[in-house]
Amino acid sequence: MRSSGWESLTGRQPALFALILLVLSVAINLIVQPNMFARETLNSNMRVFLPIILMAVGQAIVILGGGIDISVGGIASIVNAVLATRVGLDGSPGDMWTYVLVSLLIGLLAGGINGFFISYLRLQPIITTYATSFLYGGFALYVLPNPGGGIPGDIAGLYRSSTPFGLPLAFYVIAIVLLLWWYLRSTRYGNFLYAVGGRAQAAYETAVPVNWVQFSTYVVSGLMAALSGVAITMLSGSGNADIGSPMTLNSITAVVIGGNALSGGMGGVAGPVMGAITLGIIQNIISFADINTWWETFVRATIIVVALAAPGLVNLFRRRLL
Amino acid sequence: MKRVSISPPVAALLLAVVLFALSGLLPNGFGSDMDVARAQATNIVRLAVFLGVIAAGQTLVIISGGEGIDLSAGAVVTLTAILTYIIVNGADVRVLPALLVALAVGGLVGLINGIGITFLRVSPFVMTLGMAGVVTGAIIVITHGSVTGKVAPIMTRLIARPLSPSLQIPNAILIWILFGILMWLLLERTTFGRNLFAIGVNRVTAKLSGVNVTGMNLLTYSLAGALAGFGGFLLVGNTGVVHLQLGQPFLFPSIAAVAVGGTLLSGGKGSYWGTMAGAITLTLITSLLTTMQMPESVRQMVLGGTLLILISIYGRQRALRQ
Amino acid sequence: MAESLSARNIVKRYGGVVALSDGNLDVHAREVVALIGANGSGKSTMSKVINGVVVLDGGQLLLDGKPVHFPSPQAAKNAGISTVFQELSLIPQMTVAENIWLTREPLNGFGVVDRKAVKTRTEELLALFEGTYKTTLHPDSPIVSLPPDERQIIEILKAISFDPWLIILDEATASLDNRQVQRLFDLVAKWKEQGKAIVFVSHRMEEIFRIADTYTVLRNGRTVGAGSIKDINEQQLIKLMIEKESVLGFLRGEAKSGEKIEKEVSLEVQNLTSSALRDVSFRVHKGELLGIGGLQGQGQYHLLHSLFGDIPYVGTVKLFHKEVRFKHPREAMRGGFALVPGDRAREGLLYIRSILDNMLLPSWRRYGMPLKVSTARKDAAQTGLSLNLKMAGLDAPVSSLSGGNAQKVVIGKWLMRNPQVLLLDDPTKGVDVGSKAEFYSLLTGLSEQGKTILFYSSDDEELIGLCDRVLVMYDGMIRTELSGTTLTKTNLIAASLGATQPHGEVA
Repeated sequence: MRSSGWESLTGRQPALFALILLVLSVAINLIVQPNMFARETLNSNMRVFLPIILMAVGQAIVILGGGIDISVGGIASIVNAVLATRVGLDGSPGDMWTYVLVSLLIGLLAGGINGFFISYLRLQPIITTYATSFLYGGFALYVLPNPGGGIPGDIAGLYRSSTPFGLPLAFYVIAIVLLLWWYLRSTRYGNFLYAVGGRAQAAYETAVPVNWVQFSTYVVSGLMAALSGVAITMLSGSGNADIGSPMTLNSITAVVIGGNALSGGMGGVAGPVMGAITLGIIQNIISFADINTWWETFVRATIIVVALAAPGLVNLFRRRLL
Repeated sequence: MKRVSISPPVAALLLAVVLFALSGLLPNGFGSDMDVARAQATNIVRLAVFLGVIAAGQTLVIISGGEGIDLSAGAVVTLTAILTYIIVNGADVRVLPALLVALAVGGLVGLINGIGITFLRVSPFVMTLGMAGVVTGAIIVITHGSVTGKVAPIMTRLIARPLSPSLQIPNAILIWILFGILMWLLLERTTFGRNLFAIGVNRVTAKLSGVNVTGMNLLTYSLAGALAGFGGFLLVGNTGVVHLQLGQPFLFPSIAAVAVGGTLLSGGKGSYWGTMAGAITLTLITSLLTTMQMPESVRQMVLGGTLLILISIYGRQRALRQ
Repeated sequence: MAESLSARNIVKRYGGVVALSDGNLDVHAREVVALIGANGSGKSTMSKVINGVVVLDGGQLLLDGKPVHFPSPQAAKNAGISTVFQELSLIPQMTVAENIWLTREPLNGFGVVDRKAVKTRTEELLALFEGTYKTTLHPDSPIVSLPPDERQIIEILKAISFDPWLIILDEATASLDNRQVQRLFDLVAKWKEQGKAIVFVSHRMEEIFRIADTYTVLRNGRTVGAGSIKDINEQQLIKLMIEKESVLGFLRGEAKSGEKIEKEVSLEVQNLTSSALRDVSFRVHKGELLGIGGLQGQGQYHLLHSLFGDIPYVGTVKLFHKEVRFKHPREAMRGGFALVPGDRAREGLLYIRSILDNMLLPSWRRYGMPLKVSTARKDAAQTGLSLNLKMAGLDAPVSSLSGGNAQKVVIGKWLMRNPQVLLLDDPTKGVDVGSKAEFYSLLTGLSEQGKTILFYSSDDEELIGLCDRVLVMYDGMIRTELSGTTLTKTNLIAASLGATQPHGEVA
């Protein structure tokens, strides 16, 4: 079978598609928001995008390993609820950092639970994490039954307005995450991840520790979801146990428009990061595009569905052409 | 080597009976008086009707396999309930048109799901979750946040009340039994039903045996959407009022009900009787939690935990090492 | 380095299917042992037992005389055992180098994979087969972009990359060309000198006699013979592989019913071309049982599936002089075609469903609405009876049936529709000998009834015994047509391997 130019191109450079989309959306955004590269605007945009970027990175790693994690929103919600109730609006920085640490442990634990059920009990990833998303979401609601509480304003301010060397804080976070990913990718673990996501049976026959690798992807995803929860709490400054639930689908969408195959084993993390930014910019454009408020949810949701269907559309179109 | 085994629907019903009996021991449970107990039991079954009807479409898509699931069901229920409410607006003559609109709108949403899943190869979970957002957006567009309308007297009479005062069974339950018989006919006594099980087990075999797999998929998702629409119609007839979150609480239980009823979440095996039993069991659990004054958060966690336990029992995938 | 490995009385079941009931194998250093058996005799399972991929249900493994247990492929690997899998164990999305060194990547500091070293070592390995593959093959090529023979070479290189003492070659030569096979055999000779042991799983007699020192024959999951290759000839080996001589005898008796064929052409295929077929043309007569031969994967699957409307093609297909162009198996089915696919579990059956559901799947529409299930049940029972289907009842799941009976269900579901054209893709694969004999008489019976039958088989004996005419496929083309006196085993094998001129007199 002959592979077309496009196929080999996207095969080798899955992030290319994401890059094109990103450039396109930035261009459109520039039209509606000419000052988007001004320091203040850039920072205010990036701090909004960061939570979903972090979550998308975790989601991308799970999906690369052949799974999916529906519970990420629930994990972020727990973190938000814990921070908002334990630290409080007048808590000390010491409390804050202690509970950030606790949050990360919660993320690891929640991811570990997912991983245990999926890799060791061999349950289907989608339905398992859907079930745990209710466990985690319910737990967040248990901790914080009604919206309220929050974190001290000056700590939230630290997140919102820090621009070391003139660049938004988010840039540094993204840079660290990408560096860590590139390190991980170049270790044996990186190869294992692609092998397990590509063909788990073949990986198993080659003595790749398949169960362990699958387990680890959920732990990583739990950790990233917790980080995302910390970020969104610092962004909003307040507590709401439902804060994470809309983020799950966005994280998956970011991975899909980032050029990764939902079936696993193809793509990377840079693509999903760009995908998450693109998604954020699209939302930006919608809110600037003077759309009737009542139509906003509909338009946003439709764009997400179209984005999710985009790879399928491209394929369908290509099949017709050939 | 025959093992003694209880079929899952029977097991689910037994569980419901045992729970109901045990609930008599609770301080503010369902009481030990036989009349009170019977009234309570009737009431629980009546409440289970709506979950049961909404879970009917879910049963079909789950049986159809390919990770089939319909996460848009909750939003569709809300939308069609609101449409019914607006269209009927208190007039008996507009009930039938409203029912047709509810079925058509639900069917249309299902058809879009089906197109995305079969032609654009979006995973059912992601596609229907995305469509849930679109439908929610459509609800906001239609209602602008507030709904004016009214159910017609005939609906309340047909759905919420008993046929005659002497027969102490609400019509909803009779409708449900009739509906259950129709569902059984559909699954067991039509070519559609037999082919549905076939594509749920193995789509290659089904295609090579002359089954139009694509058409079956489109039809199944459309039908599931229409059934959710019917659920919305019934629900508003019972409650008499609508709100923007009317259908959402039914979504997760509708999937859990299918699982409790012994339908394989991987597809190809199951029954609507099982789903009916599952709906009763879940409604009972929820009512018990409410009676015990447990908060919403606990209810969520119990539901999530129930599904997790069920898939641990039924939903194992093939082990890597045989 | 170890000196010997023995498998003793191995038992392995998959679900209800017994793959090995009493498997025995002895391997010694500096020796090539040929593991031989018909399809479904348990050869592949035996190799999976040795390399720790499957859990044993009974028996034991001895390494240098001491019992060993391999709880995972890793454990077998640590003991120096390596396998070239028949179903390749490569990850399609990853590159050649990544695949070969997976789990054994050389590392720099900080656990980073040393890409340079990986590349150099991969190039060293590729050099072993230098000149037998296309120049575009290099360490960074993704596996998806490679043709089957190059994938097979990578699989071989992957297996030897960690210098094992025991190498299992499971049908490793099936997709290699002559030059590549020769290179592999040169390597095998070298490995022997180095003190390695080789298990050579194959069904190609010529190759077995070329490189094997000893042989072990499996039949229906049981080791039925072993010894030095010098003490046995091809005929005797074949005899060991086949359970009863009566099958062959049966074949000879039933075959060559040439006079009975009506002269009317029923199916005519002209210039059929698709992704895996090149310009295939032939005619079949009414009542003819036309054989299709050739090595596996030469386009037979595509030919049968194209005719059944499952794979798009260009070209013309005529049924009784009228052109048909099926776009979906449903249309083909309604046009009187039936396909018995090659992979029963994946293409032919609904495993967890009942025998009734399987048999009636193509025919439900005939039973009205609501379905008259009791009538359908009667019809299915009758078909089951006529096929001598052994079952607990129509409601028993197909997964409870043996291979032969499961295949009867697949055939039965089509016989219920009384098709005009039967397309059979290796229908006796993994079927016990008793059922095979029943199939043969069923097929000859059907052709006598005037059905048109296209019969692909990987078993040359079957083709010779049952068919008057055999089309041998090679690389997507019909390479040779054999019939009458040219239809001999030698010619069949020669044509399978790509030789154009059949030996023997031309009619």
